[in-house]
Amino acid sequence: MISQRSALLSGFSASLPIAMGYFPISFSFGVAATQGGFSVIEAFSLSLIIYAGASQFLALALLTSGAPLLVSAFTLIAMNLRHVLYGPALMREAGDKASTRHAWAWAFGLTDEVFGQALGALARGQKFSEPYMFGLGIGAYASWLSGTAVGAFAGGGALDGWPAISAGLGFMLPALFLALLLSILSRRQLPVIAIAGAVTVAATLVISATSGILLGMLAGAVTGVLRR
Amino acid sequence: MNTDLLIVALLAGAANWAFRALPILLRTDRMALGGWLERFLSATGPAAIATLFVGSILPALTPDLIRLLPLITGVSAVLGGWLATRSVALATLAGAIAHGATVWMIG
Repeated sequence: MISQRSALLSGFSASLPIAMGYFPISFSFGVAATQGGFSVIEAFSLSLIIYAGASQFLALALLTSGAPLLVSAFTLIAMNLRHVLYGPALMREAGDKASTRHAWAWAFGLTDEVFGQALGALARGQKFSEPYMFGLGIGAYASWLSGTAVGAFAGGGALDGWPAISAGLGFMLPALFLALLLSILSRRQLPVIAIAGAVTVAATLVISATSGILLGMLAGAVTGVLRR
Repeated sequence: MNTDLLIVALLAGAANWAFRALPILLRTDRMALGGWLERFLSATGPAAIATLFVGSILPALTPDLIRLLPLITGVSAVLGGWLATRSVALATLAGAIAHGATVWMIG
């Protein structure tokens, strides 16, 4: 019992850097949601149910632009397809004997950063434990939800008098994507990344921003299939 | 509560749960996936992140160097933050702070 509690606390403490990064991002999501005409409850519900940063920002863009419901849902689902790979990669490191009894609950919190932190802990020789995964996930999720709530309550006009802070928060998402890109960068993935980026630019300029994201992703993934 | 919003959120949330939890519950890491599907799936993550980064900075690109400066300092700070700490969260924060500080200095 004590070791389980200590693993939970250890996971929670490992979540602090993630929580520090999540709060301002989810705060800016809360602000953006209310700016887009959504209520505090609606903004909070998106964070509670979807719990994926980029998808939530895209959900705002799609819903406010009047995109069809199924197109919006499919786009958001396609965007998070990469998460399919996180579980197998983590469990491969955790080993055959690792318990997955409560994975139905903690795995919902397996975001990019939580996955990266958990994989890093295993790579450093830490033993896999479900309480650790709960601690890691709860810290990050709590930060995400509280940031959304504070941002939504502060409202769309909250940062009008603070353009530098508003700009900094607005850059949080591109910065997060770049940092994630650096964290997975390898020589092997360079063609995938280059093709995905180039097709995104071309399709955005020729068709639309939404098409750019979908086609860029697809082109990168197909490049991965063709690669030897 | 907007019904369309709730439906989209529930569909995306259910898919997120399925993507994150099902491969663990089914222990798909024990299956030898192999072939084109494995290559497709393993390239999807990097492709998605690269696409999202490019898509998010495209609207900020401009030939006006002064207006481009916050983007340049922000991207440089993420790169520097990553090299110095190897932490996604800290590199992100460094980029956002540099971007905001540059906007403040430009005025």
